[in-house]
Amino acid sequence: MKLLKLDIQLFAHHKGQGSTSNGRDSIGRRLGAKAADGEFIKAGSIIYRQRGTKIFPGVNVRRGNDDSLYTTVDGVVKYERLGRSKKQASCYPVSE
Amino acid sequence: MIKVKIEKQNAKYKKITILGHAMYDDYGKDIACAAASSIVITTVNGILSLDKGSLSYLVSKKGMSIDIKSTDSTTQLLINNMVSLLKELEKNYSENIEVK
Repeated sequence: MKLLKLDIQLFAHHKGQGSTSNGRDSIGRRLGAKAADGEFIKAGSIIYRQRGTKIFPGVNVRRGNDDSLYTTVDGVVKYERLGRSKKQASCYPVSE
Repeated sequence: MIKVKIEKQNAKYKKITILGHAMYDDYGKDIACAAASSIVITTVNGILSLDKGSLSYLVSKKGMSIDIKSTDSTTQLLINNMVSLLKELEKNYSENIEVK
């Protein structure tokens, strides 16, 4: 009779490896700033992609139906404070 | 629950059957099972190291049975020690092991 192997889970329940119903995720939406503060951009360019209004539209900037901010004029982007706790993005034309 | 059944003949240990699962926790984390397994395996290997013919065992998915062939005092003492340790384990983990 040979010696027993030391299996300290000899009397443990061999439950099948639990399966999880998690493990799915959507592809990243690449949100965030598309134009930096002080950057010159053309009219119609996207400044900021967002869900909701993390950043509000400021001067010469509008909000698209997916909440993205875009400029209505050629100019330089400015990120500014809006009140105590909000931010806004504006676009100021560059005087020639 | 692990059920330990002890059979004696003429006040000597004859057969010990250990069936079931501790069900204390998942496999790999079941400390009650680890204690019971260690106690049993240490005793069986200890006795076999002294005398290969003093007992025989059968391990299956359901558990384990140990046939004690030798009635010499060393074997009986080691088996008795195993039984008393399993009983002590039962005191702390009464939902996971039962010794009869």
